[in-house]
Amino acid sequence: MESVLSLVSVSRRYRRGVLALRDVSLEVPAGQFVAVMGATGSGKSTLLHCAAGLDRPTGGRVRLAGHDLTGMRESARTRLRRDHAGFVFQAYNLLSELTVRQNVTLPVRLGGPRGRTVDEVLDQVGLAGFAKRPVGELSGGQRQRVAIARALITSPSVVFADEPTGALDPTTGGRVLALLRAAADRDGAAVLMVTHDPAAAAWSDRLVLLREGVIAYDGPAPRADEIADRLRGVSAVAA
Amino acid sequence: MNSGMIRQAVRRNPWAFLGPATTQALAAALVTVGLCAMASLDGAPLTVAQRARMVEDGSTDAGLLFLISSIYLSVLIVGVTMGTAIGDQARDLALFRTVGATPARTRRAIALQAGLVAVPATLAGVPLGLLGGAAWVHGLVGHGIVPAEVTFRVHGGVLPIAFAVTVGTSLLGALIAAIRPSRLRPAMALAEAAVARGRGRVRTPLGLLLVAGGSTLSVVLSGLDAETADNGGLLVMLSMCFGTGLLGPVLLRVAAPVARLIGPAGRVAADNVVARSRSLSGALVPLTLAVGFAAFTIVIGATTEHVTGVAMGGADKWLTYSGTGVYSAFAAVAGVNTLITVMRARGRDLAVMRLVGATQGHTLTVVICEALVVTATALVAGAAVAAATLLPLLHTALGTWVPWVPLPFLIGVVVGTAALVLAGLALPAAVMLRRPPIEVIR
Ligand SMILES: Nc1ncnc2c1ncn2[C@@H]1O[C@H](COP(=O)(O)OP(=O)(O)O)[C@@H](O)[C@H]1O
Ligand SMILES: [Mg+2]
Repeated sequence: MESVLSLVSVSRRYRRGVLALRDVSLEVPAGQFVAVMGATGSGKSTLLHCAAGLDRPTGGRVRLAGHDLTGMRESARTRLRRDHAGFVFQAYNLLSELTVRQNVTLPVRLGGPRGRTVDEVLDQVGLAGFAKRPVGELSGGQRQRVAIARALITSPSVVFADEPTGALDPTTGGRVLALLRAAADRDGAAVLMVTHDPAAAAWSDRLVLLREGVIAYDGPAPRADEIADRLRGVSAVAA
Repeated sequence: MNSGMIRQAVRRNPWAFLGPATTQALAAALVTVGLCAMASLDGAPLTVAQRARMVEDGSTDAGLLFLISSIYLSVLIVGVTMGTAIGDQARDLALFRTVGATPARTRRAIALQAGLVAVPATLAGVPLGLLGGAAWVHGLVGHGIVPAEVTFRVHGGVLPIAFAVTVGTSLLGALIAAIRPSRLRPAMALAEAAVARGRGRVRTPLGLLLVAGGSTLSVVLSGLDAETADNGGLLVMLSMCFGTGLLGPVLLRVAAPVARLIGPAGRVAADNVVARSRSLSGALVPLTLAVGFAAFTIVIGATTEHVTGVAMGGADKWLTYSGTGVYSAFAAVAGVNTLITVMRARGRDLAVMRLVGATQGHTLTVVICEALVVTATALVAGAAVAAATLLPLLHTALGTWVPWVPLPFLIGVVVGTAALVLAGLALPAAVMLRRPPIEVIR
């Protein structure tokens, strides 16, 4: 099956000589939910940023929705992101002075494709009736669901999520994960999620473990307790 | 909870107070100019005849008038910029409310900070004012407005009076701005900081009242004699300025939808202006004043010349235009300052816009559309202030309702205002957009 996200020998060296990613290769097909785990500083966020075209790898190639990001100009990468990628971050990254509707429709109003209607995505994330509320008045869990609605409105090929449940309690976090799961199953989006939490990773189809910028494990996601064991394994070696 | 912690939190972003500090420095400079002009005119070794002539043609009052206008402007503008700076700190203020600072303690910390900013600002402004004052006195003599015996003298009370004005106005502005954040219940405070919305239940009706009062007075004065109209003009201007100042957020919210006509970027800009109408109005007030002052002075001079056919004397022209120029420049600097403060607080928002798919160019276009809304609002509000003040004077003294607006002035004021607003919004935005969004958000 044709992958919607493809990384071939991707490396990222930061200015102070830190090699955050080395020769990372990853093929993600549509509809697959991938969890990326690893110790702090193992390169998870760097991997996500390079894959999403938010950062430029210093080596290797990245293809997103059939477009080669390598050598693409910043504005072209931005448009590609707008049309084919959705983002969910730990810190929500919403415009807190605007309403829920204004936030959710932002990618569309900035010229992105209108894949779904606002009511549809708000309904999907359980926020029907919240459209006119200012985001600043919502709880953390509600804000994260607004972010997911914003990520889904363009019907993206890939949803990128960096610690989406990091600031939420287990119940609220579970709701957010179920939504990401549905984005993969129902909407056929590939989901690439960075997380610290084995219970969150257990929602995925596939687990990628990073250790010092290298993929240490890439395979089917086991149960949460096994994930925790594996995670301890790579962290112990890294420490 | 010690007050050191509060101070530290308020100081976390020292640039936040750059706006108030700049306007305080300029206010101190203006007050210094006014005081020294007074001292120079009063202290000059003049003959009785010379002095009598000066009293007769009103030039002895020039210094005092300048001083009074400076203090009035300072109260308004320093208060506004301080209000914006404190509004910017709302999140930090909310934080110390949550860790146990009482409302009174929060207000005291803010007041202390506001007072402290005024000290270096005043010390920088007074020397500037001395230079400006010397230049002004020189100009008065050079244009033959006062006899050559008048030399520049430093007023003895310059430092204490300048301090009283700057510290006083900034304390007042800060305390008023701090009422809301200091009163919020701690649990509400953090959520509220993110939204910072007010319903303007006092502000809007008061603004409407002042504008209605100013307009009514303007109509009444039009039916009276020229001298009464002349005397009442100041009152009209005062109430119109304060009124439009209070109505600032409402005016911006009314004007914002116009941006929607520009296209998709305009629609995003309109939402942004509505959401930030409160902080943007901090810039709208001084800009409106600058436009209003300049329009009033220029148009009344031009209309008088046009109707009577008599050209204004060079000296008269110099006196009016130099004064108006200084006031307008002061107000314009304050406006740009506030805009920069407002824009700088939005680095993260710009990054979020780019994250979800706006290119650098697209983001900048949105900001430029916002700038156009602010410009248009300031021009219309400034024109309204000038018209209300001006029309009774024109009608009673010159018998005309038609103001004569010189085309170069019209172009100058439109282009100038647009340039100022762009410098305050688009320039800092362009600088911030150079950083990759992911670095800002990280
Ligand atoms: N902007 C940067 N400049 C320099 N080094 C960085 C930068 N961002 C991340 N790093 C370094 O790269 C490595 C990987 O970071 P990151 O991808 O953020 O890890 P993770 O998300 O797994 O915690 C770390 O050693 C980190 O210090
Ligand atoms: Mg990370």
